[in-house]
Amino acid sequence: MADPPSMEDAKVDISEKQTLLAVLQFLKKHNLKETETLLKKEAKVSDEEFKTEDSGPTASEVSHALAAYKSDDDPSIYEDLYTDIKAFIDSCLDVHKVELATILYPVFVHMYLELVYNDHEQLAKNFFGKFSLDQEEYYREDLMKLSTVYKKEHMAGNQLMDNFKSSKFVIRMSRDSYTHLKRHLQEKQLSRLLNIIQEHLFIDVFDGIPRNKQQIDASSGGLLGESDREANKVKVYYGLLKEPDLNIPLEEDEDNTEGEGDKPKKKKPKKDPLLMKKSKNDPNAPSNTRIPLPELKDMDKIEKINAFREAMKRVKVDREHMPSVCFYTLLNSCQGVTCIEVSEDSSLISVGFNDSFIRVWSITPDKLRSLKSPTELEIIDKEADDVLERMMDERSATEIKTLCGHNGPVYSVSFSPDKHNLVSASADGTIRLWSLQTWTNLVCYKGHNYPVWDVKFSPHGHYFVSCGHDRTARLWSTDHYQPLRVFAGHLSDVDSIQFHPNSNYVATGSSDKMVRLWDVQNGNCVRVMSGHKGAVHCLSFSPDGRTLASSGVDQVVILWELASGTMLAQMKGHTDTVYCLCFSRDGGVLSSGGLDNTVRIWDIKKIYEELDSDSDANIPSTLHVNDSPNLLITTYKTKSTPVLLLHFTRRNLLLGSGAFSIT
Amino acid sequence: MAAPAKSSPRDAQVMAAVLKDMGVLDYEPRLINQMLEFTYRYITDILDDAKVYSTHANKKNLDTDDVKLAIQCKMDHSFTTPPPRDLLMEIARHKNSQQLPLIKPYSLPRLPPDRYCLSAPNYRLRTLKKSRIQIGLPQFSSGSPRISIAPMQSKGSSSSSHSLTVVSKAQPTVTIISKPAAATIPKPTIRVNTGMTKVLPNTSGQIITTRPIPTSTLSTIGQQGALGGQPVIPGVNPLKRKLEDDDYDK
Repeated sequence: MADPPSMEDAKVDISEKQTLLAVLQFLKKHNLKETETLLKKEAKVSDEEFKTEDSGPTASEVSHALAAYKSDDDPSIYEDLYTDIKAFIDSCLDVHKVELATILYPVFVHMYLELVYNDHEQLAKNFFGKFSLDQEEYYREDLMKLSTVYKKEHMAGNQLMDNFKSSKFVIRMSRDSYTHLKRHLQEKQLSRLLNIIQEHLFIDVFDGIPRNKQQIDASSGGLLGESDREANKVKVYYGLLKEPDLNIPLEEDEDNTEGEGDKPKKKKPKKDPLLMKKSKNDPNAPSNTRIPLPELKDMDKIEKINAFREAMKRVKVDREHMPSVCFYTLLNSCQGVTCIEVSEDSSLISVGFNDSFIRVWSITPDKLRSLKSPTELEIIDKEADDVLERMMDERSATEIKTLCGHNGPVYSVSFSPDKHNLVSASADGTIRLWSLQTWTNLVCYKGHNYPVWDVKFSPHGHYFVSCGHDRTARLWSTDHYQPLRVFAGHLSDVDSIQFHPNSNYVATGSSDKMVRLWDVQNGNCVRVMSGHKGAVHCLSFSPDGRTLASSGVDQVVILWELASGTMLAQMKGHTDTVYCLCFSRDGGVLSSGGLDNTVRIWDIKKIYEELDSDSDANIPSTLHVNDSPNLLITTYKTKSTPVLLLHFTRRNLLLGSGAFSIT
Repeated sequence: MAAPAKSSPRDAQVMAAVLKDMGVLDYEPRLINQMLEFTYRYITDILDDAKVYSTHANKKNLDTDDVKLAIQCKMDHSFTTPPPRDLLMEIARHKNSQQLPLIKPYSLPRLPPDRYCLSAPNYRLRTLKKSRIQIGLPQFSSGSPRISIAPMQSKGSSSSSHSLTVVSKAQPTVTIISKPAAATIPKPTIRVNTGMTKVLPNTSGQIITTRPIPTSTLSTIGQQGALGGQPVIPGVNPLKRKLEDDDYDK
């Protein structure tokens, strides 16, 4: 019989207590009862401190990965460990304190989960109650969801749990803080804590000065921490595609009499610098053949010429010249409106409803016509110039058309750029393609088996993307009944999706509070941007393709730079969820609208002016996020209408739309 | 919204407390009723299922195991969750490895093949009944037609353009089946064509040409016995009531 080591009973350090209890448990397991009782007597460990363990995973539905939570240690040490690490952090230098405090949340979560897994329900509840309020405000929602898991059986089906156990929580830390932490853990031999940190946390160490609280808060909030810097290293071709050479005849009422092609040499007063860049080869632009795009037909060329002409008459919009807003309010909709969308040339508005209908209105004096019947179509002269008008049946001209076919609420609609087609996404898991010439349903795309939250047509036509509850986004083309690309990587529902102006990239915003940028050509995720503290409901690319604006439940509009994947600015001001964003046609101003019944205009030009030139994406502490309150130019209030759509017309008039709500 | 009044039934108060616990503070009063209805229906379904399992296992009373099994089955059926992340990544990897298909110019409208579109008519014209005369005896020869059965649906417009082709290597003797010879065509229809020719859909409604079917290769089709007399149409039981003769061309 081995002599138990003698110990001072008064001051027993945590680690020694740990060892002692481990020894006791070992003895118990191997039925060395006499040794056990002797040791207990000598070490004066009371029986209630020593709790028995449930050994071995029992139910088969608990997966292997969860077994990582199994521990033989005494559960009461968790509270002590946590308090200890908190005390250590408080004792550090101020510079390190904020950075090290970021590990408290994941450590807390994993400790709690270990307690639950090992069936210490009451202890787990105590632990949760004691320390959950210490956590950051933006983790509040996740913690609430976590608090519903307090039995081992709950762990099996919970999605949040799956995320926590399968992926590592990412934290960025400067090298100094990291070495400090490591040294403390190794000195004190807190093996349990070290285990947790090594298994469940991924600490992205960078060389540089530690970040301050503001910088840390800016980029944290994601479900699994911040984004890994490695994820944002791929080159992104954010430039615009080279425009084809079009012979654009100038209007007769212009002063200048000559003009050749699309590169007029004379300077016009309202010349847009964007239109001038066509001749130069942008190194950041993808080649026109990087992804197959449909060729331009005559009708498209005419449309482009029209667009160019309209752009010449564009009104300047900036801090001194605020945009005018034309707002379309839907009355008497009985709260059934789920989405509103307008065509690119601002002539058609389409609204999706809870009762599965889609209604299309014309907001120009032109009415909506449908195609003639086949017998009539045979008679018309196909060589005539206005054959496209003759195709349409005058008798069917109405201002509103209804499209029915879906099996559930329609959550999103999108017009094709040539206005011939409309795609709609619904809770029934299908995406439908409608023809706006015959006003019938052409195709039903089944792929998502769960509600589809958003769908968007590509600005060049032919492709559309959708995203839904199944955590994926898919790229489809109108002539394939199955998706061409599947963008998987989000941890939770994908709520919003948007095409880049060059159609080569797709941005998605999700309920896991991350914004991801995907490459259409190979389906890879090229950027992961963290910083939102709530689900991301709307995304908008700037017209020059360099930046992306996003917003959602957390009411903050964030501007990201695509080249580096870093946050440029945080625009605070909204008091409720933001549902729509739109840049002005020249990119100088951003409009946002949401549930707080307001439309706010933000100054983007100012952000570019105040950009810090020596910020380096590799050293997060040099990044400065602009969140001055001066970025807000103005606020427009509606009476009681949440804003669901914002759209700058080609002449920079701001269109808005929403459904009047009584409450 | 405010919590339910003190006079409301205990269940409603419990539901309100549950909602409060989960962090839902703002809701319409009707929500409590909806949640209670759902709870009642769900619990009774589970308990019914559990009772069934319990009686199946010859147990006197309900057991926690029965309830657990009932819950598990219900979860797999009604409350499916999206696929796990690794499966999604695998599917994505597979799909994304294929190149984006090139776009053929001048091919408007760009739509999937007709069977995946909703553009086919979802009705069929009723045709006149034609009597059919049987010519000759069916010859059974070697050869192995592969028959695929595509049920004709009168409602599903997406499949209305299914056509059935069977590749056959045997001689092209044609047998036309007469109506009184119990060669009624049930659903599903099987049309057997020669290797080369295809029966073209014809709007005025049609003659069905069939191929003699060698019995040796059709082991799955029941040995109907009367092989010498008339061609055996799989699925036809001569004792069955004769169905009306509809033409299922198209």
